Amino acid sequence: MKKISILSLLLVCISSFVFAGTIKIVTTTTDMKSIAEFVGGDKVSVTSIATGYQNPHFVDPKPSYIISLTKADLFVTVGLDLETGWSPQLLSSSRNTKIQKGAVGYIDASIGVSLLQVPNAANRAEGDIHIFGNPHYWLDPLNGKIIARNIVNGLEKVDPSNKTYYEGKLQEFNTKIDTKMKEWQAKMTPYKGSKIIAYHNEWVYFETRFGLKIVDFMEPKPGIPPTPSQLVKVIKEVKDNSIKVIISSPYFTTSSSDVVAKQTGVKELTMATSVGAFDTIKDYFGLFDYNIDQLTAKLK
Amino acid sequence: MDSTAKDSLLLKQIEEQMNATNPPVAQQPRSTLSFNPDIGVIGDFRGSYISRGKRNIDLFLNETEVSLQATVDPYARADFFLSFGRNPETGQYGVEVEEGYLTTLSLPARLQLKAGRFRSAVGRLNTVHPHALPFIDMPNAFVNYFGEEGLKDEGLSLSWLMPTKAFYQELLFQVTSGYSESPAFARSDKNRLLYVSHLKNFFTINDDNTLEIGLTGISGANDSARVTNMAAADITYKWKPVKLNTYHSLTWQSEMFFNHANLAENFSINSFGMYSFLQYQLAKRWFLTGRYDYAQKPYDKTIKENAFSLTAGWYATEFSKIEFETKTTDDNIDKRFYQAWLRWIFVIGAHGAHQY
Repeated sequence: MKKISILSLLLVCISSFVFAGTIKIVTTTTDMKSIAEFVGGDKVSVTSIATGYQNPHFVDPKPSYIISLTKADLFVTVGLDLETGWSPQLLSSSRNTKIQKGAVGYIDASIGVSLLQVPNAANRAEGDIHIFGNPHYWLDPLNGKIIARNIVNGLEKVDPSNKTYYEGKLQEFNTKIDTKMKEWQAKMTPYKGSKIIAYHNEWVYFETRFGLKIVDFMEPKPGIPPTPSQLVKVIKEVKDNSIKVIISSPYFTTSSSDVVAKQTGVKELTMATSVGAFDTIKDYFGLFDYNIDQLTAKLK
Repeated sequence: MDSTAKDSLLLKQIEEQMNATNPPVAQQPRSTLSFNPDIGVIGDFRGSYISRGKRNIDLFLNETEVSLQATVDPYARADFFLSFGRNPETGQYGVEVEEGYLTTLSLPARLQLKAGRFRSAVGRLNTVHPHALPFIDMPNAFVNYFGEEGLKDEGLSLSWLMPTKAFYQELLFQVTSGYSESPAFARSDKNRLLYVSHLKNFFTINDDNTLEIGLTGISGANDSARVTNMAAADITYKWKPVKLNTYHSLTWQSEMFFNHANLAENFSINSFGMYSFLQYQLAKRWFLTGRYDYAQKPYDKTIKENAFSLTAGWYATEFSKIEFETKTTDDNIDKRFYQAWLRWIFVIGAHGAHQY
């Protein structure tokens, strides 16, 4: 009798140890992490490979990232070749069959997103173009809902017992986006149609959602650093269109936009491309709070 | 209806479509689907100068590498690298399977098996394709032991990702047939195979700084149909700031080779070779690399080579770079000599990620 009770106690211990485990999610970027944390609630633990202030095209595939991937239940990628230079190598080195492309634990968050700037031809003479379309789609808050849906679909496949929980969380996320969206739209409405210059072609979804007009880029072609002739062109455009602000990202130097600012008096603004780009941006909602507050202040 | 409400409605529709049992036909075709492998071609055009000999200058397409890479099935992926190159002695162009191997994707216990022809897991340089290196010529010690092309052979490679939690640790064991045409190792006409083992330790000091320390052991037949054993150690320190991560970086990498060649009954030669380089990224597209080489020969340790080289590289994009290297060598046979190279690397098609 005693033996049996000890045995059953042991079994309870083992089973609780096995089932109390949270779903381990590894995301490529902090935006995916923030959304996964929201919809996964206390059922998940999430880590991101890239930081919020890093250029997501160029992350070094350090072997240390492989350690977290070996144990992951879900892998969330922005997709559309954004991470093509580093994530496939990390995935294949992880030896984790659960998260390989095509497996249940591999989540391409871009599925279902209406893509912008899908090129008609794949030609590298155009610079760093993305053959599937512009991959910076998380910068439209409404696409956040699609990302959340995709993550929840993945969660429900690996953890079907908590389906109701995840659906509830998704609903909560969508409601919060809708509420915040009204606030963001209200703040941006006075600046609809404002013309701006951007450093790199990564704001098209934000631009489209909030009715901005990006006239030109500091880079003559995506991925090619600003050239003197491009600066001359931008200076003329700033003057001709009385452009108020040049937006950039935390991973680009401001030396070239400084030149334009000096020549024209245009304001410079480093916007956040991801959660955690600046310490104050704690989650996906904070990302838009920050960008919209900063941008409207400069456009005033 | 304001635009937010309209968008929410549209999203509802998208969500409903996504939840439906029959997925809707994609609105935008994402690409022309095919099972063709990813194909890439890398060109390596060079100019060279040497202060010794009768012909001092040369211009040549050093190598054309064609890569074909794809997943085979749910269990494995395959990688082929075909090299079209010129034989420096005959001037004739020839084709070689530089690498061609299968890698398993679903072995248990964090194991990964490779089968085919591959670069042996010796230290840091040997596994990297030359076009990805920050200098044009290979270090003297490397050439003296493994040849210009490095040690590569046909066989099996088993890698185990060790369950160490604090840092990354990988153990590799390779058994190959000894086809490798390298100065230190040769194919045995008996049953002696080539064995390579490598332990890789990778430490993340913090977000910006990493350290890798590796140990390698090699055992195989030599020219004299006897056994050569080699021990090698590598150390690599990298500073790559995560903030503004594409503008400045620093790499210091060194490898040491200790060779014990048994060449006849009661006659062995111990020799040593090493290189050490420091690479600094001056700006987004500019790299400067200084290297020191020390090398003996596996069968004649009286030859001592000391060399210094400096390479400047301009990386136009991820797909092309131009490099210029100068080198001075003192080999205690003849008087000091000088070399220079210019290299233009260009890539079309798919281009796989490089290892860290």
